[in-house]
Amino acid sequence: MLTYDYAIVGNSAAAINAVESIRARDAAGSIGLFCEEKYRCYSRPLISYLVAGDIDTKGMYYRPGTFYRRMGVDFHPGERVTSVSSSKRTITTAGRERIKWGSLLLATGFTPFIPPIEGLDEVEHITFISWDDARDMLRLTAKPVRALVVGAGLIGMKAAEALHARGARVTVVEKLDRVLPLALDDRASELVAERCGEADIEILTGSSVALLHGRGGHGGTAVLDDGAEMEFDLLVMAVGVRPRTELAEAMGLPCERGIEVDEYQRTKVRDIYAAGDAVAAMDIVLGRPSINALWPVAALQGKYAGMNMAGDERAYPGCNSMNAVEFFGLPVLSAGIVNPPAQGYQVIVRQDEDGYRKAVLQGDVLVGMLMAGRIERAGILTSLIQERANVRRVRNSLLDEGFGHIHLPRAVRRERIEEAVAGLKAAGADRGRGE
Amino acid sequence: MMRIVPREEYCIGCRLCEVHCIVQHSRSKDIIKAFKKEKRPVKRVEVEEEGHVSFALQCRHCDDAPCVTACLSGAMQRDPETGVVTNDTERCVGCWTCILVCPFAAVRRDEGERKVVGKCDFCPDLDTPACVANCPNEALIMVEE
Repeated sequence: MLTYDYAIVGNSAAAINAVESIRARDAAGSIGLFCEEKYRCYSRPLISYLVAGDIDTKGMYYRPGTFYRRMGVDFHPGERVTSVSSSKRTITTAGRERIKWGSLLLATGFTPFIPPIEGLDEVEHITFISWDDARDMLRLTAKPVRALVVGAGLIGMKAAEALHARGARVTVVEKLDRVLPLALDDRASELVAERCGEADIEILTGSSVALLHGRGGHGGTAVLDDGAEMEFDLLVMAVGVRPRTELAEAMGLPCERGIEVDEYQRTKVRDIYAAGDAVAAMDIVLGRPSINALWPVAALQGKYAGMNMAGDERAYPGCNSMNAVEFFGLPVLSAGIVNPPAQGYQVIVRQDEDGYRKAVLQGDVLVGMLMAGRIERAGILTSLIQERANVRRVRNSLLDEGFGHIHLPRAVRRERIEEAVAGLKAAGADRGRGE
Repeated sequence: MMRIVPREEYCIGCRLCEVHCIVQHSRSKDIIKAFKKEKRPVKRVEVEEEGHVSFALQCRHCDDAPCVTACLSGAMQRDPETGVVTNDTERCVGCWTCILVCPFAAVRRDEGERKVVGKCDFCPDLDTPACVANCPNEALIMVEE
């Protein structure tokens, strides 16, 4: 029976960062990595860049081709793991092979959520999360098509933009009243929608598909809830994603929002860790575990899972919701809470010809920010959110163009600049500093 | 590794570090051409100034660099030998995630031929980075760590 000191299920951001963390600490331990896709690790967020023609297939890979060999990883592409036995410490693959592990990482990611729409089973559709989806889209847009995108979240809007770049006529239907409803606020959504409108992407917010009529293959007619009908040649379903928890659930691990882990990315079962989009990770702004299915969040969790699997005791510092997007030349960055409930928050907004900026405060703590247009110094605000720093003395300059370390007390900026050198807020031990 | 350390008590806010950074990262490496004739590269060091206080800040090449972890494409990497964090502009797609997570605002949009980000690369062709070598008051110094 194959035996690995470290077995990893998954091959994306969390898995790859875990491999690097393990290898930095343990040069000898054997690592086996299993994934159902046949590709070596690629970046899912880049599929829209591939379809739009901004990058070629070579640009899709997250790490060089030598990665697995250099890291001493036994890479098992196209081998889906179907079950885990925690008592025997084995995993079983679809080929019925059993593999023994010393410690195990579940980095199983997410699966698209497909809402029940009458007639959907008559129409082939693309969910636009994988390289294969991108290939389908490239093939199907070889001639001009009429495309319908259901859902105006990040995946839907990126699909719309890529389809537009492929010469498709695009309509986006979104049930809520604005585009990118989770990442942006009303004003920023409006700015993005305007840009898309100028490019002739039709966006129908407050609208949903009630019924679909297929005409064989990918084409069909959609009937919207207001009775309007539209014909399409290509349907993209981008309503949302769900954490992929079936392996964890079959083991009896708690998975209410996503796989539950402690601050060391450990599950309830000894030597089984989890990281990435399948996990409900501690959101330091919300103060509770939350699903933030975002590449940077998954990568950081994987990094910490790997450290702890290899024997370091380092607590994951927590994440917050964060988004970097650009549509038709308008960059928009957001972090933390951008749509606060009415009570208990203060909102500062600034709008000028360079863009739109917003800061959300809870007492003296910055809990959210959004920048559209001029984004250059956004990371300083993100770091203040992450640190839960007290910003009382600088609250009036937070949105200034030149806001920076110069506005922080001298001792704080010195510490920040020196701290970077000594391992940036590594252990998260100083969370709450300055409060 | 070597680090660049800003000393605000010596900085006079002249911004020569910015000028020389731009020249060093230009195609011609000629000051007039870089500023007047060519596509001006993005500066990778920035002087922060308020009243009489100023200092120049560039990438800290963090040990646990958030830009490297957050990078979608894998373009941003830390060299394990030298510790220098560099962005491979061939692989960078200009998604701006690194701008979102850099606590020092040390990464900038460089929308020249392709959308990519620009950041301090420690001037690999020079013995001493241009900003340090050309600071008239030793307000930027190299420190071996």
